[in-house]
Amino acid sequence: MSDRRSFPAALAVPALLGLAGMAATAFHFGAARFFANWIVWFLFLLTIGLGCLFIVALEHTVRSHWSVPIRRIPERMSGLAVWVAPLALVALFSLPVLYPWTQPEAAHDAMVAGKLGWLNIPFFSARTAVSLVLWGFCYALLCLGSMKQDASKDPAFTVKARKWAPLVLVIFGFTLTNAAFDWISSLEPLWYSDIFGVYVFAGTFLAGIAGTALGVAYLVKRGRLPGVTFDHVYNLGGFLFAFIVFWSYIAFAQYMLQWYANMPEEVFWYQKRIEGFWLVFVWVMAALHFVIPFLFLVSRRVKGSIRLLAPMAGLILAAHFLDLFWMVFPVLGEGVLPSWPEISFALFFVPAGLLWARRAMERGEDMPVGDPLLEKALAFKL
Amino acid sequence: MSDKPVAVLALFPSAQALMDAVPKVREKNLGTLQAYTPYPVHGLDKALGLKPSPLGIMVFAMGALGATLALLFEWWTSASDYPVRIGGKAFFSWQAFVPVMFEVTVLFAAFTAGLGMITLMNRLPWFGHPVLHTNAIKAITRDGFALAVEAVKGELDVEAATAALEEAGGAEVEVVFPCTEKIPPGPTLQVFKILAVAAGCAVAGITMYFAIKLFPVLPPMADMEEQVKAIPYESSACFEDGMAMRPPVDGTVARGMLPMGPVTEEASGSVLVNPLAATTEVLAEGRERYEALCIACHGPLGNGKMSLSKEYKATPANFHGATVKAYADGRLYYAISKGKNAMAAYAVDLTPEERWAVVHYIRALQRSQDAPEEDLP
Amino acid sequence: MADNEALRDLLPPPLVEGDVTPGLLDDQVLETPEQKPPKAWFLAFFVTSGMFLIGAALIGYTFATGVGVWGNNSPVFWGFPIVNFVFWVGIGHAGTLISAILFLFRKRWRNAIARFAEAMTLFALMCAAIFPLIHVGRPWFAFWLFPYPNERALWVNFRSPLLWDVFAVNTYFAVSALFWFLGMVPDLASMRERTKSKFRKLLYTIGSLGWRGSANDWKHFEMAYLLLAGLATGLVLSVHSVVSFDFAVSLVPGWHMTIFPPYFVTGAIFAGFAMVVLVLVPVRKIMGFSHLITDHHLDVMNKVILAMACLMGYSYFMEGYTAWYSQNPYIHHIFTKYVTGTYGWAGILTLTCNVLIPQLLWFPKLRKSIPVMIFVALSVTVGMWFERFVIFLVSLHQDFLPSSWGLYIPTSVDVGILLGSFGLFFTLVLLFARMLPVISTTEVKMDLKGAQPHHGEEAHE
Repeated sequence: MSDRRSFPAALAVPALLGLAGMAATAFHFGAARFFANWIVWFLFLLTIGLGCLFIVALEHTVRSHWSVPIRRIPERMSGLAVWVAPLALVALFSLPVLYPWTQPEAAHDAMVAGKLGWLNIPFFSARTAVSLVLWGFCYALLCLGSMKQDASKDPAFTVKARKWAPLVLVIFGFTLTNAAFDWISSLEPLWYSDIFGVYVFAGTFLAGIAGTALGVAYLVKRGRLPGVTFDHVYNLGGFLFAFIVFWSYIAFAQYMLQWYANMPEEVFWYQKRIEGFWLVFVWVMAALHFVIPFLFLVSRRVKGSIRLLAPMAGLILAAHFLDLFWMVFPVLGEGVLPSWPEISFALFFVPAGLLWARRAMERGEDMPVGDPLLEKALAFKL
Repeated sequence: MSDKPVAVLALFPSAQALMDAVPKVREKNLGTLQAYTPYPVHGLDKALGLKPSPLGIMVFAMGALGATLALLFEWWTSASDYPVRIGGKAFFSWQAFVPVMFEVTVLFAAFTAGLGMITLMNRLPWFGHPVLHTNAIKAITRDGFALAVEAVKGELDVEAATAALEEAGGAEVEVVFPCTEKIPPGPTLQVFKILAVAAGCAVAGITMYFAIKLFPVLPPMADMEEQVKAIPYESSACFEDGMAMRPPVDGTVARGMLPMGPVTEEASGSVLVNPLAATTEVLAEGRERYEALCIACHGPLGNGKMSLSKEYKATPANFHGATVKAYADGRLYYAISKGKNAMAAYAVDLTPEERWAVVHYIRALQRSQDAPEEDLP
Repeated sequence: MADNEALRDLLPPPLVEGDVTPGLLDDQVLETPEQKPPKAWFLAFFVTSGMFLIGAALIGYTFATGVGVWGNNSPVFWGFPIVNFVFWVGIGHAGTLISAILFLFRKRWRNAIARFAEAMTLFALMCAAIFPLIHVGRPWFAFWLFPYPNERALWVNFRSPLLWDVFAVNTYFAVSALFWFLGMVPDLASMRERTKSKFRKLLYTIGSLGWRGSANDWKHFEMAYLLLAGLATGLVLSVHSVVSFDFAVSLVPGWHMTIFPPYFVTGAIFAGFAMVVLVLVPVRKIMGFSHLITDHHLDVMNKVILAMACLMGYSYFMEGYTAWYSQNPYIHHIFTKYVTGTYGWAGILTLTCNVLIPQLLWFPKLRKSIPVMIFVALSVTVGMWFERFVIFLVSLHQDFLPSSWGLYIPTSVDVGILLGSFGLFFTLVLLFARMLPVISTTEVKMDLKGAQPHHGEEAHE
């Protein structure tokens, strides 16, 4: 086990290297390349946070009690949905660089001009700000409230959480869909697909579960989750299994429907993303997002053992990153392929993210000790 | 009933009582232990030392087989055996093949799970298991929990087993004897079952075949074959001549066969006017038609001299004579359409446009034999 | 203590009300098939089979005369039959969700209603299957849909979603039937031992396959049940998605929307749960099972209906948003036609019934009221039928070329056949309720007080 002090130090070196690389990217390749990477990492961290927020709200809504012992982990990680605010602010500067509807030519294209009432910088920024505020509100309501319950042990919070969690779900549904359409879909404003919100949701939920699983592994390894058994982890593994299937189903549905009708105003989006290098990329992503996890997670043993589940969760999280990357990066143009700029961003954001996660894992108790159902939940058997 | 007992069983009032009893009886090592319960009891498998079910692996393997077979079949029918271009899609449209592949996977996997469990794992249906003929079975299916000590290789110490079971809390101890059927079901029974199923399938198949062949020709299914409407060459009682086909009404004009109207031969020259201009295409068409239909009598130069002249004993018009040269286009058109003397009416062979084109060609022929000086290059 | 009280409030109520032992459960549930049905049952059976016979007669009339007796015409070539087909297939999905998906989530409340719900799935699929069969011009050639070697040297078109439908719905029926029957085997064994009639004993003996409940048998049974539940879950998602592909792969404006697969599945679960509520409320009262199918069961089902209503609202919103965002004039035109024009009333009705009225279920008092429940469930059933009507038929009646536009006017034969399908469904439900155990006694026994070792208290949820 690494020394707690040397852990940040070990990460500082790649992080600084990464930072330098990011700056170099901006100077060497230009703002577009810089911002494309920025957007991907911003969305990646945001979706992990939102996925965890969704998990918390869902658990309160359906009154699941097997999940109470591990609920603190997604509660902590939902903080990402708020902490990405500075990233969002920088991302707003990408609008004139990456998004075609900000350009004057957009007004001449009838198909884009019609959308300019919605797609314009002030309104877009306002929507982003409102979403962040709403996410902060939901985080405070469900997650901070739960942490407060640790000390007060007041069941009134659980009653309140159960009452308001459905509203959080509704807010989540619309804000995530809006974020997906705004940040990703509007990169190519001529394209449309109404399942897109569901598609990004599938990846987001998976990111949340995977993040939770990794958090559970982190704490279990340090003996900080006593009482969490095979039965609890099995359910987590079951969700991971079910939702990689769900994601694949949605991804396939969107692709197959647009392939089948073959309408030029839709397929150009896919054509760009399955040519040459990107074809290989897609097959790798399909393997990491579906095939490999499926083959492992089909086993009951893997589902219930956090030691075996954690690598799968990591794989799925990486695949989710690749998914976002695949959606955003090709807008840079045909010949533009990933290389050292992308690595430098990873060198910065991965340590930064891990550092943030480590600090978040110290917030509140490791289990929601104030939750009246905790004792019963620890006794859960499949 | 046969003599040698196969098991001794006792009833317990609850699942807890059964679970408490199992280790007590097991340590006495009197035979194989088996439990009978009205519903699955958690932890009983482990307590009895049962191995986990292999169904999971079987289902996975059969599912994978189903996927492969489905994809292969779809590829073979769509891209190899009889490829048909549909919707501009590739012959091997894997995207379109996924749904059927998925469904067949589930089908194979599900039937392996269900039928595999019943026939292979549990060896059902079998109505001869000894426990089915005990007094305890009523309680077992209702609310009783039975623990049985089974004979190993036919050997069973009934007294010791009874004592062990009673000591562990069991009541209504019963000695179980084999039934008329063999234990476990012998291979002949399984073969018989398979044959019965196969025979059933064969009967069903043959019935279906004849139903499919026979059924469509019965009315009202065959109504489309014999329709009420009349088709050409059918008879019909509605008309005197008994035919369904009717000649066209008197005065019907076929397309492109518009009659000339009441034009006399003398007036034709002034009434009928050539609507076509003498372009290269018109002259080419006129030449082509002339050489097909007119050249036999009028000759290649239009002078009425042709090989048939001797045999036919007719004198086709010489276009270079003064009379014909003086004819207007309409007069020539009239002659082609209505015929003249021995010449038949060519209205049936040439459309009006073609006739006018031929007229232009005749003019060209005339000019060819009597060209003015300006025509020379 | 305040803590215990709070805990009790937060925990869901017990699954079974009152003191129920396994023996008592058997006596209550398994006695019904042994008894003669009451007069009311015969009256209901008379009514429903009457409806069914009317429908069957009209189908015979259609076969004899031709599909022209329906309202199908240019440009709305697909009429009531496709709406009815998708409607019934959708209703079937709730049963599988309850018996399979809720099983995987270990939601124990599903045990008391799974058997009935799964039976409803099978009956709904039977009703659904009628329509593709009769709406082709020559139903006696329906076997051409299967890829068998033939003298025409032709194979079926695997690229067509209509064929995917054939595979999907047939697989769904086969797997559901297998799942339902296997779950019943232990119950049939119980009935075999209880029955006093020699004839019924023979039937149950064969039906129970000689089941004896040994630990070995249960081991394999549980594994098979878990696997079948997992596979059936995949089917719930895929079957209605494949049905949605019938429309979404096309170019018709209003049909080619990528959200169709999850949108249809959500709608199916929605309509199905409404039908389950509609059937279970009278059944539990009439058969005296209110202590087994408790108010809590109904409450949770209503919550599912509410959740689905919200998801439907999201889907309608996304469709409307995309109709604007796409800037595609054809899609835009069709969406305005959904709520205005000749059929605008149907679109408004759909939105009201599917999104507005179910919002009543937010209020706990209303959620627990039987009349409100029935009203919402009926409204959802009507709303979901009309939703299919709006999507399929309104999109067809005014698509790309105005010269092709035309109205769809259903005939009394169309309506009569729809009525007949309801008659068939409820007839089968009535027969099932008297002839087979409507509650899975085996599964309910598993979670009674003291049923499992080391778990003194009753199971919850």
